[in-house]
Amino acid sequence: MTEALKVTGGKSRIKDKALALIPDGNLSACLTCGTCASGCPATGLMDMDPRKYLRMAVLGMDEELEKHPWIWVCTMCKRCYDVCPMHINIPALTFELRSGWPREERPKGILGSCDHHVRSRGGAMGVPFEDFKFTVEDLAEECRQQEGFEELTADIDREGAYFALNQNSREPVTEPDELLPLWKILHKAGADWTYYSDMWGGENYCMFLADDESWEKIVRAQCEHIDKLGCKVFLNTECGHSFFAVWAAIRKFNIPHNFEFRSIVEYYAQWIREGKLKVNSDWNTMGIKFTAQDPCNVVRKSLGDKFADDLRFVVKTAVGEANFVDMHPNKSNNYCCGGGGGSLQAGFTEERQAYGKIKFDQIQATGATYVVTPCHNCHAQIEDMCHVYGGEYHTVHLWTILCLAMGILGENERTYLGPDLADFGLDG
Amino acid sequence: MSDKKTIGSVLIAGGGIGGIQAALDLANSGYYVYMVEKSPSIGGVMAQLDKTFPTNDCSMCIMSPKLVEVGRHMNIELLTLSEVKDVKGEKGDFQVEVFQKARYVDMTKCIACGACTEKCPVKVDDVYNEKLIKRKAIYALYPQAVPLKYCIDADKCIKLTKGKCGNCEKKCPAGAINYDDKDKTVTLNVGSIILSPGFKPYNPSGKYMYGYDNNPDVVTSIEFERLLSASGPNQGHIIRMSDHEEPKKIAWLQCVGSRDINTCDNGHCSSVCCMYAIKQAIIAKEHDPKLECTIFYMDMRTHGKGFESCYNEAKEKHGIKFVRCRVHSIFKNPTGPGQVVDFVDDSTGKVVRDLYDIVVLSVGMEIPPDVKDLCGKLGVDLTAGGFVKTSSFNPVATSRDGIYVCGALQGPKDIPQSVVEAGSAALCAGSALTEGRNTLTKSVTVPPEINITGERPRIGVFVCHCGTNIAGVIDVERVRDFAATLPYVEYVTNNMYSCSQDTQDFISKVIKEKNLNRIIVAACTPRTHDPLFQETLQSAGLNRYLFEMVNIRNHGSWVHKDFPKEATEKAMEMVRMAAAKVTLFEPLTEARLDIDQNAVVIGGGISGMTAAKSLASQGYQVSLIEREGSLGGQAKNLFATSKGESIQDGLAHLIRDVEANHKIRVLTNTEITSVDGFVGNFDTTLSVKGTKETLRHGVAIVATGATELKPDEYLYGKDSRVLTGLELDRKFIDNDPSLKTMKSAVFIQCVGSREPERPYCSRICCTHTAASALHLKELNPDMAIFVLYRDIRTYGEREALYKEAREKGVIFIRYDVANKPVVATGKDGLTITVTDHVLKRPVEITADMLTLATAVVPYRDEQLAQFFKVPMNADGFFAEAHVKLAPSDFAVDGVFLCGLAHYPKPVDESIAQAQAASSSATRLLSQKSINTSGNIAKVNPAFCTGCEVCVTVCPYNAPSMVMEGRDKGKAQINPVLCKGCGSCVASCRSGALVLKGFEDGQLFAMIENA
Repeated sequence: MTEALKVTGGKSRIKDKALALIPDGNLSACLTCGTCASGCPATGLMDMDPRKYLRMAVLGMDEELEKHPWIWVCTMCKRCYDVCPMHINIPALTFELRSGWPREERPKGILGSCDHHVRSRGGAMGVPFEDFKFTVEDLAEECRQQEGFEELTADIDREGAYFALNQNSREPVTEPDELLPLWKILHKAGADWTYYSDMWGGENYCMFLADDESWEKIVRAQCEHIDKLGCKVFLNTECGHSFFAVWAAIRKFNIPHNFEFRSIVEYYAQWIREGKLKVNSDWNTMGIKFTAQDPCNVVRKSLGDKFADDLRFVVKTAVGEANFVDMHPNKSNNYCCGGGGGSLQAGFTEERQAYGKIKFDQIQATGATYVVTPCHNCHAQIEDMCHVYGGEYHTVHLWTILCLAMGILGENERTYLGPDLADFGLDG
Repeated sequence: MSDKKTIGSVLIAGGGIGGIQAALDLANSGYYVYMVEKSPSIGGVMAQLDKTFPTNDCSMCIMSPKLVEVGRHMNIELLTLSEVKDVKGEKGDFQVEVFQKARYVDMTKCIACGACTEKCPVKVDDVYNEKLIKRKAIYALYPQAVPLKYCIDADKCIKLTKGKCGNCEKKCPAGAINYDDKDKTVTLNVGSIILSPGFKPYNPSGKYMYGYDNNPDVVTSIEFERLLSASGPNQGHIIRMSDHEEPKKIAWLQCVGSRDINTCDNGHCSSVCCMYAIKQAIIAKEHDPKLECTIFYMDMRTHGKGFESCYNEAKEKHGIKFVRCRVHSIFKNPTGPGQVVDFVDDSTGKVVRDLYDIVVLSVGMEIPPDVKDLCGKLGVDLTAGGFVKTSSFNPVATSRDGIYVCGALQGPKDIPQSVVEAGSAALCAGSALTEGRNTLTKSVTVPPEINITGERPRIGVFVCHCGTNIAGVIDVERVRDFAATLPYVEYVTNNMYSCSQDTQDFISKVIKEKNLNRIIVAACTPRTHDPLFQETLQSAGLNRYLFEMVNIRNHGSWVHKDFPKEATEKAMEMVRMAAAKVTLFEPLTEARLDIDQNAVVIGGGISGMTAAKSLASQGYQVSLIEREGSLGGQAKNLFATSKGESIQDGLAHLIRDVEANHKIRVLTNTEITSVDGFVGNFDTTLSVKGTKETLRHGVAIVATGATELKPDEYLYGKDSRVLTGLELDRKFIDNDPSLKTMKSAVFIQCVGSREPERPYCSRICCTHTAASALHLKELNPDMAIFVLYRDIRTYGEREALYKEAREKGVIFIRYDVANKPVVATGKDGLTITVTDHVLKRPVEITADMLTLATAVVPYRDEQLAQFFKVPMNADGFFAEAHVKLAPSDFAVDGVFLCGLAHYPKPVDESIAQAQAASSSATRLLSQKSINTSGNIAKVNPAFCTGCEVCVTVCPYNAPSMVMEGRDKGKAQINPVLCKGCGSCVASCRSGALVLKGFEDGQLFAMIENA
């Protein structure tokens, strides 16, 4: 038998810190009912779950808990907090515990990304602004060669533009061709938009690192810069955590701003409804099946089912109502893919993959050939799960499918399509 | 005195079981009652239930006699489709504004034939059946509804909304339809008001975690109740609503809309859901023994009388699975039918996925916003949780003088507790108006009895469907047609529900029209329904004993449910036997008995003193008997109520009131040595401080209390740092300074309760411990406090204490009864080792004090039980007349029950029950005289040999020997004492004794026709 743990019931650093710092942070209120653990994809990983984790805090096992790496496996997806009958903010506890780790001991992947971002005033990959600028200009020129896009523009820091576009640096840095479908959509919709130069990368690993100072610094710089440009809407592209990083920072750090902060998926829906984007599913005569991932950051954690409904409207319009198969559970009750909370960079690969098995099974159960993921982390994780568990689905961005449906998807913009669609519509 | 008026009437807002009980108590004790009910008929939620826990009585069957009594009562006026809008005036003289919606059906003309409904083209969601099926726009709420009068849904009727149709008017044979009916507002002048509007089940719609919307296989518990019911949408056959397949697995999810401040705003425990889930699971399994039933829960709260054993049986006998895990969410199985339920398996720490055909959401109780608004308007204060605020020492009085509350509005509760509070509210409402008693009531005029002597028997036979309870198995039409062939049978018919109001009117009408002089009803049990039908006979001018009930339900359709043919034949034979018997019936007479207007209350604790005070307030003289030297009972050792009130202050106040009341005689150091007599005329002999004295009284209330277990475990008695709950309370009362310096305190729950030798839950200990822990935290905020428990049972709004205790840092650790905490004496204190239920790791606590929450133990007073011939249950608590509907009465007339002698309960519930017992006693006393039964033994002195065997065998002392005159030396029967049990008749070797209504000739005739 394990040696008995001596419990004093006295002061606990963690409990006190949670109480002081976290709204809904009275961990002692826990009923130990199991709601959190029964709904958490990370339950059982490292022999831990949210209930055990709270219990350790309640019993004053501060030292053990402060060193426990499970907090880097928990993706802070908020599925527990949403349903906890005592409304205990468990994800915020994860965040606070992460922040309690000595900075240099936090996962190197996340730490490095944050530092790069702050240092370069660009993105997590540390690419200088000049490179970004060159890529954008070069690609825009290339795009204007394509028929129908002769007038396309992709500006940076254009004052008075209606939209300021938040761009995850993954595309400009590693797969620039993926920028084109997005731009084409904006062009077709007649959107008046610009990129911005300071802290131009949309991602925010400093948030995952639980480095409030750096997280705030990035978002504050973005906000100030966009306000200077006089943009009406700060438009977030298909990236969940970048959305949440701004959405939450504005609230948490009380950052002043004069723009409206919105997700591009809401605009896709609006533009389709207004007839600005002429999308239909006539192309899908093969009846190819699609499902869609609801990113936690934009659905459960911020915009709720309204976003999820917009997402479905857009996907269904593009692929056909009958060709859309929902995962269960979905929308605000959806499972995190396992790629959230910085886990892709956290280094606990085995746990991340075990976590992602739930998502993999959910996708497999739909029988869909394509998973639409309007989020970079979801995209990367879901694609990885397909390789790890031997699935046959393909993971695609929403912009790819929209352009495909509108017949404007270029030859080099098809990295993520399967063989059935690799050449679709190209010879027409 | 002031010139203030005292109006002798009471308004009761809400016609559920609480309102009904309060109405009957008041109307039977001299007050005129207005019952204001929002829906078209009374009955409330209880009328929707299939069965009731823990006895699984058919809800409608036990309730129907009460519904009918309210419907027939000349001192109860029903205002249906009505709502209280405002109250002016003050206690004794209120003006109540009542808004009454138009019914569009003239209640005086409607004969409830149903012709209107049949031809109505508009289909509407059936609210009574929880919208699982449709009904018509003109409808009766349910088949046994009282009043059974149709009603038009004005929002849906196309005649009223669009001027089309008009079918119902054309079809109504009684000309009862009135499309020009108007809503109206009436003002009623009453002396007291009782609020009993009940609760609203929590609506899980719109909450994604429950997957309730658009998923017919996720149902609420009240919907499931309708699915189980024979009168429900599927005649009681459980099906998966999506595809009408029979389910194989059903899950219940507890605490939906309760103990949750996140997805809803209901911090309270709804008190009833654990038990109803167990009940539903048991019934479902009885429907199909192969069914797999699983209940997912946090704490199993089976804190009521008989509940824990029901829970144990559910596990052990019925094989129901209990999984301790609150489930995160439910969602559709993506690959087939069924619902996915993920839960954590405690033994592995992993999530387990299971599929269920039906998921039942055990929804909690809420007070609807319109009721809260009304309370606000009336100046009735609410608690933070939205229930009516009351004090523990006055548990049904609201913040506005003269307005009382009972049932779920006072706090979530089950039927027995609602019935107790109804009695309590009736007592208080009546006590406030004693000057107005009998000023507004009307009296019964029984029509003169028709003399049938010498008439040829003319038998009427009524065969009941009981919905599908009977007709689902027995071929009712065949039984009816067979009855028509029997000798002397003049009339036969079959009825959907023979106990309904309209059938009573119908029977009465048929008796007169057909000159019937013997009646047989083939239906359910005479135990509950005899009086109802007998009254119907009386109202038609027939002697009430010319009646026989044949129980073709309990003895037929229920026990032979798999043999419909044989059950039908048995029913036919039973009817034939009954016909042979009633042919030989003759009218019987009843003895009239005066009721002595004095009362005795046994036990001088909080309950007994409250009962004495309550009866005195009704104007009766009371003797309060206490065996100890002073009043107070267990309350002398108690510190505070769950609401934080000082029990010592409350007790002192109560003792002062009782001692100062000139109608109460306090007899301390007094024991009962014998009891003679019977209802209305008891002679109780006492030993008062050693002196013998006999009291004559009409009623007795047993309030003998209970005591605290002194355990022999956890070092109790061996280490002075180990205390019982009451011993800690004593330290609180004495303001013991040592409490402020202690560093650590531990409580262990369920010490001596919920164990094989004492299987019941002691109900009060979890709340008491939570309150004590909080008090310790108040004295010393830095004290570390641990509570080691099995299930926390802070039911109702007491849950707030549990929450507050956790929030303030009290650590609750659950132990398994097979792995109890271990207590050892250490150098620095007590060392307590227990396995933490979440981490599954042994945890060691060093404590300066250990408090054991020990069981409440009944006195098991066999002698008192003998004296009053009242029963006791296996646990040693007194057994009430009916666990649901008569919790404060004994089956023995004139004897009532309250307090801990009935079951462990806190101060507020003890006081409520003492008032309820007093209300029951008042009901009896205020009649001044009663009629005894006609079914009693009679001696034929010609055959009596005077052997005195009858005197020896009778348990009620009814037979005695005639001492003088012509029949000297022969036996005689006191008709008042005789209960009609037949023991003497069976023991008489000379055939001198007969039991009226069960005479030899009648029984032989039955046997011959069997």
